[in-house]
Amino acid sequence: MKGGLTLDSRSGWQQGGESGPPIIPGKPHESLLISALRHDGLQMPPAPKEKLSDDTISDFVKWIEEGANDPRTTAPVAAQISADTWSLRPLVRPPLPSNLPADSSETRSPRSASQNPIDVFVEAGHRMAGIDAVPEADARTLIRRVYADLHGLPPTPQETDEFLALIAASNKTLTEHSQPQQPADLKSAQEKIADEIWGRLVDQLLSSPRFGERWARHWLDTIHFADSHGYEHDIGRDNAWRFRDYVIQSMNNDTPWDRFIREQLAADYFFPDQTNLIPALGFLGAGTFDFSTYSTAVDTFDYLDRDDLVTQTMAAFTSTTANCARCHAHKFDPITQEDYYALQAVFSGITKGDLPFDANPATGIERQRWQMVLTAAEQRDSDVLFRPEYDAQISNWISGRSQQSSWEPLQLETFHSTDGATLSRIADGAILAGGTRPDKDTYLISGTLKQSSLTAIRLDVLAHESLPMQGPGRQDNGNLHLSEITLTVFSPDSMTPEVVKFKTASADFDQSGWGSERAIDGDVSTAWGIHPAVGKSHHAVFVTEKALTLPPGTHLSVGLKQLHGGGHLIGAFRVSASSAPPETLMAVPEAVETALDIPDEQRTIEQKTEIAAWVMKRSATEALAAMPVADYVYAAGPSVEIPVGNGKRQLRSLKVPKVVHVLTRGDFGKPEQPVTPGALSVLGHLPPRFQMQDGQPESARRAALADWLAHPDNILTWRSVVNRVWHYHFGRGISDTPSDLGKMGGQPSHPELLDWLAVWFRDEAKGSLKQLHRLILTSRTWRRSSIYNAAAATADAENRLLWRFNRYRLDADCVRDFTMAVSGTLDLTMGGPGVQHFSQGPGRQVTPVLDYTGYNWNQPGATRRSIYRFVWRGMADPFMDALDFPDLGMLSPTRSFSASSLQALTLFNNDFVLSHSALMASRLRKYSEVPEQQIRMAIRQVWNRDATDVELAELSEYVQMHGLEQLCRVLLNSNEFLFVD
Amino acid sequence: MQTRPESLLLNRRGLFSDAGGGFAGLALSQLLHRDAAEAGESHNHLHHPPKARRIIQLFMTGGASPMDTFDYKPELERLHGQMLGPKEKPDGFTAPAGAIMKSPFKFAQYGETGRWVSSVFPEQAKMIDEMAFLMAMTTKTNVHGPGTYMMNTGFLLPGFPCMGAWISYALGNLADNLPTFVVLPDAKGLPYNQRGCFSSGFLPAVHQGTVINATASQPVPDLFAQPAHQFAHQAGDAAGFSLLNRINQRHADAHPGDSRLDARIASYELAAKMQLSAPEAFDLSRESQSVQTSYGIGNPATEEFGRRCLLATRLVERGVRFVQVWSGPQGATDNWDNHNNIEKDLPPMAMSVDLPVTALLRDLKSRGLDKDTLVIWTTEFGRTPFAQGSVGRDHNGGSFVTWLWGAGIKSGATLGRSDDWGYQAVEKKTWCYDLHATILHLMGIDHERLTVRQNGIDRRLTDVHGHVIHEVLT
Repeated sequence: MKGGLTLDSRSGWQQGGESGPPIIPGKPHESLLISALRHDGLQMPPAPKEKLSDDTISDFVKWIEEGANDPRTTAPVAAQISADTWSLRPLVRPPLPSNLPADSSETRSPRSASQNPIDVFVEAGHRMAGIDAVPEADARTLIRRVYADLHGLPPTPQETDEFLALIAASNKTLTEHSQPQQPADLKSAQEKIADEIWGRLVDQLLSSPRFGERWARHWLDTIHFADSHGYEHDIGRDNAWRFRDYVIQSMNNDTPWDRFIREQLAADYFFPDQTNLIPALGFLGAGTFDFSTYSTAVDTFDYLDRDDLVTQTMAAFTSTTANCARCHAHKFDPITQEDYYALQAVFSGITKGDLPFDANPATGIERQRWQMVLTAAEQRDSDVLFRPEYDAQISNWISGRSQQSSWEPLQLETFHSTDGATLSRIADGAILAGGTRPDKDTYLISGTLKQSSLTAIRLDVLAHESLPMQGPGRQDNGNLHLSEITLTVFSPDSMTPEVVKFKTASADFDQSGWGSERAIDGDVSTAWGIHPAVGKSHHAVFVTEKALTLPPGTHLSVGLKQLHGGGHLIGAFRVSASSAPPETLMAVPEAVETALDIPDEQRTIEQKTEIAAWVMKRSATEALAAMPVADYVYAAGPSVEIPVGNGKRQLRSLKVPKVVHVLTRGDFGKPEQPVTPGALSVLGHLPPRFQMQDGQPESARRAALADWLAHPDNILTWRSVVNRVWHYHFGRGISDTPSDLGKMGGQPSHPELLDWLAVWFRDEAKGSLKQLHRLILTSRTWRRSSIYNAAAATADAENRLLWRFNRYRLDADCVRDFTMAVSGTLDLTMGGPGVQHFSQGPGRQVTPVLDYTGYNWNQPGATRRSIYRFVWRGMADPFMDALDFPDLGMLSPTRSFSASSLQALTLFNNDFVLSHSALMASRLRKYSEVPEQQIRMAIRQVWNRDATDVELAELSEYVQMHGLEQLCRVLLNSNEFLFVD
Repeated sequence: MQTRPESLLLNRRGLFSDAGGGFAGLALSQLLHRDAAEAGESHNHLHHPPKARRIIQLFMTGGASPMDTFDYKPELERLHGQMLGPKEKPDGFTAPAGAIMKSPFKFAQYGETGRWVSSVFPEQAKMIDEMAFLMAMTTKTNVHGPGTYMMNTGFLLPGFPCMGAWISYALGNLADNLPTFVVLPDAKGLPYNQRGCFSSGFLPAVHQGTVINATASQPVPDLFAQPAHQFAHQAGDAAGFSLLNRINQRHADAHPGDSRLDARIASYELAAKMQLSAPEAFDLSRESQSVQTSYGIGNPATEEFGRRCLLATRLVERGVRFVQVWSGPQGATDNWDNHNNIEKDLPPMAMSVDLPVTALLRDLKSRGLDKDTLVIWTTEFGRTPFAQGSVGRDHNGGSFVTWLWGAGIKSGATLGRSDDWGYQAVEKKTWCYDLHATILHLMGIDHERLTVRQNGIDRRLTDVHGHVIHEVLT
C-alpha cells in the first residue's frame, strides 16, 4: 500500500495510486495492472508469491479490453470477512466430545469419573487420528518438569526423594491393607492417590513465591518490558523494576485476569485509593522510547510511540495485530484503519516517564486529600473549604492574626548598592534606588532595632512614581527578582557575626513560578517576583528558623541579592522586623488582608472564601511538604517526571490529550479526519467507540479500553489468555502464535478445547490463572512422557495432537537459575532494583558503556534469580543472548531455540559458568570428602537421578585426572541438564 | 555435513516453535548447513545462481556528506551564502537551516568515467572506474538511530534482523570453524543503537553479528576460559569436550527423534574447531610487512581502520560470509556527523578510510577473492547543502551516496541524480530496500521469497518494497 492503490473496489482503482490509475478501461496495454501481473516492472505489495498463470492474465486483459466493468462499487467492510476467522466466531462452551468410551461402562477407563476435560478433548483427537499416545512420565521426570514449569528452578534431591517416598508409601499402604481385589481396582486406587499427591504438589508449588517470579518473566517477554529506552539513546530506567515486582506479586496473589487488565491500563482510574497499585501502570511504559526522535522529530515520535503501545496492548491482551492497520485496513483480519487510530487516541493523553506514587495507600490517601484541598483553595471551591472539619483551623488562624503586633522599621545606619545604583532615603524609613540600572545588583542595609527579640523580617517593595510602570521593580515592566535575602546579626556579646537562617517565606503576591520561598532556598538561580501585579506595593515576610534575642547595641545587616539579570531590581523598599509569634506574621494577599480588616459578621461569602482558601492553602502546602518522599515507577501518564541528573527531575506533561488523525497511508504528513478513543469494531456486541464525557480525566480513556478488553463478551481476550498459558505449559499454544490469533496466525490444533478452556476460565475459574494452571498440570495430557514413538510420529510428526509431551531446552533465565541452584549459590531475596551484571562507564553520548566481563559473581546480590536482572534493551548480556534471551525491542511472545558453536563456547567458557562450576565443586567437597559421593551428589543435583555404575566409573576417572570443577563444568553443559523431559 | 532442509528459503515458521516434534530436522541442518557450492553441488536450493558469496560492508557512521565527497555540486558555489533553505526546521534537523554552503574541497574528474571526486578521497579517486555508484540513495528519517536501523534492517524500529542476520539465516556459513557474520566496530565505540544494528531480531540468536573487538585479547567472545579459572586450562578442554560428547551421545541415543540434541552435540565439535582456527584468522602478524603497510598499518592516521580492513580480508578469505567494518562510533565527534565544521572535521575521517579501502579492494583482487566478494561503502544518510552554524552541515535523509564493488558489479556504472544542491534525490531514487534487494539478488536470493512470519506478518528484509538495481549489475 506504499503506492496508495487499492484494487478491492471500483472506486479504489479508478482513483489509482502514486503511479496513476492501474487500469485504463479498453486499453490493457497501457494498464499498469497488466504489467504488474506479468511481473514486468511494478511490484504489487504484499506481493503474491507466484506469478499468475498466463491464462489468468489473459482474462484480465480481456476484461480491461471490454471496459473493465467492476460491480464492486465500494471497498468491502472489514467486518464482512470476520466469519471465516476462527478466533472471531462466537465463544460458546462446546460440549465434551460425546463419542467417548467413557460413555460405555465396559470400556470405561479407571479415571473417567473425574476425567479432566482437557484429556477428553485431546484423547478424542488421538482416537480420530488413530494415534496411540505414550504413557505418563514417571514421577521423577514429572517432578523436575513441574518445578521447571512453575518455578523455573530444579527440585532439590531432597524434594525429589520426599515426593517419590510419598508415592511409594501410599502404594505400599494400599497393597498391604486392601483385601484381595482385582488388579485393575488396585491400580485405580493407586492412581487416585497418586493424583491426590500430585495435586497437592501442584498446589504447593503454586503457593510459593517462586511461582510468581517464574511466570512474571513470561508476561514481561510478551509486552517487551526492559529497564532501558532502547534505540540510539539507550538510557537506563532506574524505576522500571517496580512494575516487574508488581507483576510478580500479581501472579503470586492470583489477581483475576480482568482485574489484571484494568490495573495495568488504568489503576489510577479504577482504584484511586490503592496508590500501591500505581506500579501496574508500568505496563504503559514497558516498551521502547526513541529519545532522539522525541527530541528532534516530535510528530513522527508521537505516532510511532503510540503505535508501539497499541501494538503491545492489543497483541498482549487480544492476540491481534492491530498495528497492521496503520497504513491501510488490515489485509487479513477485520480491523479498519479508523479502529487503529481510535486505539492510538486512547493513549494520546499520556507520555512515558516516572510516575510518583505512595507505596503505602494510607499515605497516598492523605496526600491525595491535601492535594484536593490545595486545588480547592486555588479554585476557591467553597464546598470544600467550608467543610466543618476545617472550621477550627480557619477560625484559630483568624483569631491569631487579630493579635498581631505591629512591625518595627529597621533604624537605618548604612545602605548601598554593590553595583553602582544610587540608594536614597525617602519617607517612613523607605529607600529608593535610582541612577544607573545595573544588570544585577545586591543591596546591603544595616541598622538597629528597639525591640529585644526578632522572629521575622518583612520586606516591603513599594510602588513609586519614579519607577518604570510605577514599580516596585526597576525593570522596564516594573518587575523585580529577589534571588536571596540574607540576615546577619552583630551582637555586642559576640565577636563573630551570626548568619541567620530563614524557615519560611510568604508574600502578598507571588509571580507564577517565582514564589517568595525561592528567596530563601539558597539557590541564587531562583527568585521571588511580582509580575504581572506591577504598579502597586507588595511585601514578603521571612520567618527565622528560631527566635533571636537582640541585646542592646545589636546591629543587623540585611542583604538583598538580585542576581537574575536583565535589570530585575528592587526600585523602592523598606525593611522592618517583628518579635510576634511567627504563625501570626505571614504575608497574605491583599484580598485576604482586606477581608480580615472587616469584622467577621460583616464579611461576604467571597471574603470568607478568600480567607479560608488562604488558610487551607497554607495548611495543605505545609502538610504536603512534610509528607514522606514519594516512590517512582517508570510508566506513562498525563504528567510524569524525568530525571535530569544530580537528583533533579523535570516535569513532562500533556494538559489535554493530543488529537489523533487517521493518517493517509500512515503518512505523518497526511492527516485525515480526527478520531475519538475506541477499539475494534469487529466485536459488534461491544461498542467500538468510547463515549467520553467533557471534563473526564484522561484516565477515563484508558479505563474505557480496559473495560472493553476485560469484558466477558470480549471473545478475543479470553481465547488469548488461555492459549498463551497453554503455550508456556506445552511449549506451543493450541494456536502456535500466542500473540496473533488472526488469519495469519497459526490455526488452532484443538479449537473446541481452546473455547472450552476460555469459557471455563472466564466463568468458573473467574479469571484465576492458578486454577487454570492446576487444571492443565493435573491433566494426563500434560503428564505424558516425552518419549518418541515412531508410529505416532508418522501420523503426527509435529505432535500437534499432543500424543507426547514436548521436550524443551531450558530458556536463558532457567539455565542461569538452575545453574545457581545446583551450585548452591541461589539467593532468593525478592524484589527491589535490578541487579546489574555489568560495570557501567560513561559513553560517548548519554548511553553508557556496559562491560559484562569481569563481573564478580561473589558480590552481594550477584546470584539472585534472573527475573531480577537489570535488562538493558540495546546491550544484552552476552550469556543470556547466546541462550536466546529475546531482543526486547520487539514483543516476544515465544522464545526461540538455537544451537551454534558460539553458544557452545559461551556455555563452556563463560565466566558465569566457570565461576559456578567452581562454586558447585566446593559445595560438593563440603558435602563429602569421598570423590564417589561427590559425583553421586553432583549427578543427583544436575540430572535429578542416581548415577549408573558405568557413569560413576567414567566420571571418577575423569575427576581424578581433571578435577571436580572440570566435571561440574561438563555437567552444566550436558543436554540432560539443559533439557526438560 | 552437507544436509540442508529443502524448504530453507521458504517460509519457515516451524523453526520458531521450541517444541520439538515437527521442528525435528531443522535445528541440526540449521547449524550444519553450508553453502552447497563448497562441495561443488548445484545451486538448486537458491532462487537463482549467485554472483557473490561473501560480503564486506563498510559503514560510515554519522552520515557522510555527499556534496563534499562524491556528489559534485557546482550550483552550491554560485549560491553560496544565500538563505534559500526551508524556513521552518524540518523534522529531524537538529537546527534551522542556514545559508547555502559550497564545499570547501576541490573537486576533479578521474578515470575514464570522468567521475568527480573531492580532494578528501585521493586514493579512491585512483580506483574510481571500478566502483558502481548509487548517486540518489534516500531514506525516511533525518535521525541517526532510526536511520542506522533502516540502512541495516530495513525498518526504523528496533527488533528486526539486520541484513547480515538474514543472509546468515538464508545461506549459512561457508566455513564451519569461524562465525558466519562478523562485525568489526570502531575501536572508539559502537555505532548508534549499540548492538541493535547487528541484531538477529526475531531470528534465532545464532544469526546475530559476532562483535569482534579487534584489539581484545580474545577475538571471539568466550573462545577460551579466562585465565582466572585455573582449572579450565586449554589442555583440559579437549578431555572436557570428549567427556561431554560421550555423555550427550548416550543421552541422545536414549532420547531418539530429537534433532536438537544432535545439533547441540555438533555445536561443541564446531566450537572446538573454532578454537583451533580463530586465533590464526585474527592474527594480522601473519601478513607480510608490505601487505600491512599497504593497508596503512603503521601510520596512526590509517592504522585503526586499516587493521580492520585487513582482518575483513582474512576473514572472508577463510569463509566468513559477511563482515561489517564500521568507521566511527556514535556520538558527536570522531565520526562522519560533521555538524560543526566540514572543512576541519571531514578530512581526518576521510583520510582514515581512504587508503585502507583501496588497499582492501586491491588485496581482494590479488587474492582472487574479487570474483565472489562484494564490497559496499555506505552510510545512514547525507548532509544538508545548507550550513549549520556557519561551516557545518546538518542531517539530511534526502540524498546520499553508496558505492558497490566486486562480484557481479558493473564497474563504472552510475545510477540516479540528486537535485542541483544535493538536497533531495530526484532521478532514479534508491532506498535501502533496493540496495538490500540487490545484495540478496547477488547472493542468489529473491528478496520477496525470503520471509519469516512474525506477529502476523510475513517479514522480509525489504518490508513490502525493493527492486533489484539491475543498472549496476553485470
